[in-house]
Amino acid sequence: MTGRARLDDHNPFPPAWRERWRTAEERIALAGYGDMVTDAYRAAAGALAMSAGPALAIRLAKTVSLAAIRSGRRAACLVPEAALETSARYRQPEDMDLWVAQVEEVLRKAPESALALLENMGRIVGALPPFAFHAFVRAGLASRAAGSGQASAFFALETPEALRMLGGTPGSTGFATLRGQLRPYMTALWGLCPPIAEPPPDAPEAMRRRPGLGGGGVRMPSSYPGFPPEEARLLYRAALAHIGAHRRHTRTLFPAKGLKPLQIALVSLIEDARVERLAALEMPGLARLWNRFHVARPEGPPLAIALMARLSRALADPAYEDPHGFVAKGRALFEEAFQNDRHDQQLSRRIGGLLGNDIGQMRLQFDPKTYVVQPAYRDDNLGIWDFGPQDDQAPIEMEAMLEGARIEQQQGEDGRREQGDAGESAAGRLVTPNDEDAYPRFRYPEFDPVAGQYRPDWCTVREYPVRPGPPALVRALEEARSDIVDRLSSMIRASRVSRQQRVRGQMEGDFLDVDASISAQIARRAGDLPDNRVYGRHERRARDMSVLLLIDCSRSTTDRLPDGSSTVLEMERLSTAFLARAMTGLDDPFAIAGFASNGREDVRYMRVKDFGQPFDRPALGRLAGLTGDFSTRLGAVLRHAGRDLARQRSYRRLLLVVTDGEPSDIDVDDPAHLAGDARMAVRELRREGLDVFCITLGSNSASSAPQIFGRRQTLCLDSVNRLPTVLPGIYLSLKS
Amino acid sequence: MTILDAYRITREPFYRPVGREIELFEAAYASRMPVMLKGPTGCGKTRFVEHMAWRLGRPLVTVSCHEDMTASDLVGRFLLDAEGTVWHDGPLTLAVREGAICYLDEIVEARQDTTVVIHSLTDDRRILPLEKKNEVVTAHADFQVVISYNPGYQSVLKDLKESTKQRFGALAFAYPSPAVETEIVMREAGVERRMAETLVRIAERSRNLKGHGLEEGASTRMLVNAGLLVARGVPVEEACQVAMVVPITDDPDLREALSGAIAACL
Repeated sequence: MTGRARLDDHNPFPPAWRERWRTAEERIALAGYGDMVTDAYRAAAGALAMSAGPALAIRLAKTVSLAAIRSGRRAACLVPEAALETSARYRQPEDMDLWVAQVEEVLRKAPESALALLENMGRIVGALPPFAFHAFVRAGLASRAAGSGQASAFFALETPEALRMLGGTPGSTGFATLRGQLRPYMTALWGLCPPIAEPPPDAPEAMRRRPGLGGGGVRMPSSYPGFPPEEARLLYRAALAHIGAHRRHTRTLFPAKGLKPLQIALVSLIEDARVERLAALEMPGLARLWNRFHVARPEGPPLAIALMARLSRALADPAYEDPHGFVAKGRALFEEAFQNDRHDQQLSRRIGGLLGNDIGQMRLQFDPKTYVVQPAYRDDNLGIWDFGPQDDQAPIEMEAMLEGARIEQQQGEDGRREQGDAGESAAGRLVTPNDEDAYPRFRYPEFDPVAGQYRPDWCTVREYPVRPGPPALVRALEEARSDIVDRLSSMIRASRVSRQQRVRGQMEGDFLDVDASISAQIARRAGDLPDNRVYGRHERRARDMSVLLLIDCSRSTTDRLPDGSSTVLEMERLSTAFLARAMTGLDDPFAIAGFASNGREDVRYMRVKDFGQPFDRPALGRLAGLTGDFSTRLGAVLRHAGRDLARQRSYRRLLLVVTDGEPSDIDVDDPAHLAGDARMAVRELRREGLDVFCITLGSNSASSAPQIFGRRQTLCLDSVNRLPTVLPGIYLSLKS
Repeated sequence: MTILDAYRITREPFYRPVGREIELFEAAYASRMPVMLKGPTGCGKTRFVEHMAWRLGRPLVTVSCHEDMTASDLVGRFLLDAEGTVWHDGPLTLAVREGAICYLDEIVEARQDTTVVIHSLTDDRRILPLEKKNEVVTAHADFQVVISYNPGYQSVLKDLKESTKQRFGALAFAYPSPAVETEIVMREAGVERRMAETLVRIAERSRNLKGHGLEEGASTRMLVNAGLLVARGVPVEEACQVAMVVPITDDPDLREALSGAIAACL
């Protein structure tokens, strides 16, 4: 009861609130949650009343109650403390209200995970602004679908998604937000474009804290905690510049055989200095960039790691003075050897070995388990060593590396190589352990329409190969109904989707054709009959567009159409075959892909035909081989397809989604969520200048397609025969 | 010859040869072979033609081709005056009559039906029929056609007809080697060697991004521009922004990357 006495002495509640406070306090005390809960509430309530207002402090009693009932006493004890911690960060009363509402949401929906959330509250609210906290909680609740315990793991910050959300919210300086500018930075500096990946969140601490290279790729820490935004950005730059210097100047791997960890660390240190020195000869600004992160100072105890950091600085910064003999010796050896032959990689090996002996003679301890390379921008150096065949070094996670890279080197429509498939990153080389994982994977964010926030890298799109369908079906698709194909062809041929051109010598038009006018005048004066086609106008004459057809292959497409004649998928296949045959005849660039999803980690994308590939028998076979299974996670698929289409250089780029309607997935219980995400994806694509249309098969009435794609961009097709009448609507609206 | 006096180049335009292009061009000119200059924008194609015109002592008639250009824009047309109709020679006809070098800059920008008018001039006939005027102009002995062509940014729709291409001898241009480019920047912008070297290093960084977000890296012309700003007292970093970063990309990430690369070179 000491808490009560203290509170009464200098009661932080204004007199008007004291009665209500007493009621709230009593409710907790008498509810039988135990003294621990009561004391925790009392202890925090005063401070909370000061920082977040008395109303919230009193309101929190309900939350504590709820926590005690749903998640147990331990969680209830943590609620007041967590609220207090949060109130230090979230200053607006409405932010705190939102916070309370979110916590209660978790208590109600996933009580088993509330403890984890409350335990980590400090770290979470420290990293996330209030609106992002909302999105974070929703994402955590959404992750329940992946299995029991997932939400707890999420809130305990043990899953990659949770860490990404913590590290990568807008405005922060995690790798995810800077990736867009860091990749071209690396390319600009070194002419290299290796795949760059973040470490898997379950990677060992050392690996998450420092960059790494190897396996043809680069690993970058997800964030550099403790560095203010601008510094973190420079730190990432410094890290990439350093890795580039290794790739340029460390020509061969150092054999690690027979070397002690200390020697390896020292050889690496010298090699780091050597490649940086070489790089700075070419780009002097890099020395400045790197030097700012060398903060070792001559004072302090002579520990091995401290001396090594000091030596690093001494080698990097000529103005740095250090009286220690070890540092001075290292510097002298390095300078002499560097003068002698700076491209001799063995100088690092030699000097590193000598210095290793010195550390040994000074009897300084070196613990390789806790050693982390200094300064923070330098890589863990494992990538420059050859550890022999028993190499158990964790490979850099390859999935993220495929980002921006294509498995096949594709020719663009115009014969040019497409962006993003640069030589260095030919991701096809990357070896992955088993077959399943060998399918290219791509990560995409998902938009949470309720929280109004993206969940970074939430969905994984995998490209599955399609097995050819039965030959009979292929033949059927090949031969069916040439009259529809003909009608489609003539309709497409007649549509003119291109830039405007100026046509001259017309009977009527928007402007006078000067040349024609002059010759008409001349003819008149010469007494000839003038040609009265003296006008010109702007017209779209050619067709310059690329089309990507996206076919829904979810389980629901195996349903029969309302008229019972065929299944949705059959009709999709047939209409796609018609369209494809029509476009092939006209040489319009187009691609076909199928999609389905089995949870957010397995969004399936099946390429039937790529741009530039012919629509031949194998392609028809793949079209026939599409089968209906799993669900429809539209947003990720749209983003993935949009990437493909955006590479095309046509005047108009049309993404045509053929579906039976609803987005849904096994791990989402609220269909409005996926529809909202899909709508956002459509908006993103339109912002990029793509045209996105949807053809729904069967009945349009119950479908959410109009909400996702827009009413005028959604067309309903109830029979294949109507295809030639429905399609002109799309082509027509592309004209303007 | 008076009409073309304005087209004569009296002072030597600075051109730093990279390979044997001067000798090759002279040899081509000796037999009046039409020449095509291929290369990225801002690498010195136009300057090279000017230099050659000066060297050969020929007037140079330059036409910048564009989409709306018609054959009459090249050949000439009747115009009206108080007296009646008057024929006006177009730039091409002018060059043909007087024996100038006619330089069609960025020829692919012109429509294909326009470019065919040079066909009769670029084979052994060397004539230019003026259909409307009912006249056939035989080319002056000194007349030569030179076209420039940037293979980088045309779409399939815009390419030269095979029948046009095959009439030309072609010289390929690229950005000069760093040492040569340094010399050019020093000379053209009037900056010191170290500054020129730095600018060239920056350009290399930007050219690394070709195909990775940039259509083209910074050209020699951009370097000279940056150098000119520096010579006027603008701080290097700012000059590079103005002359080499902002013009080539609107993508904020790429601008950041380029700015970082510039900082690395200073």
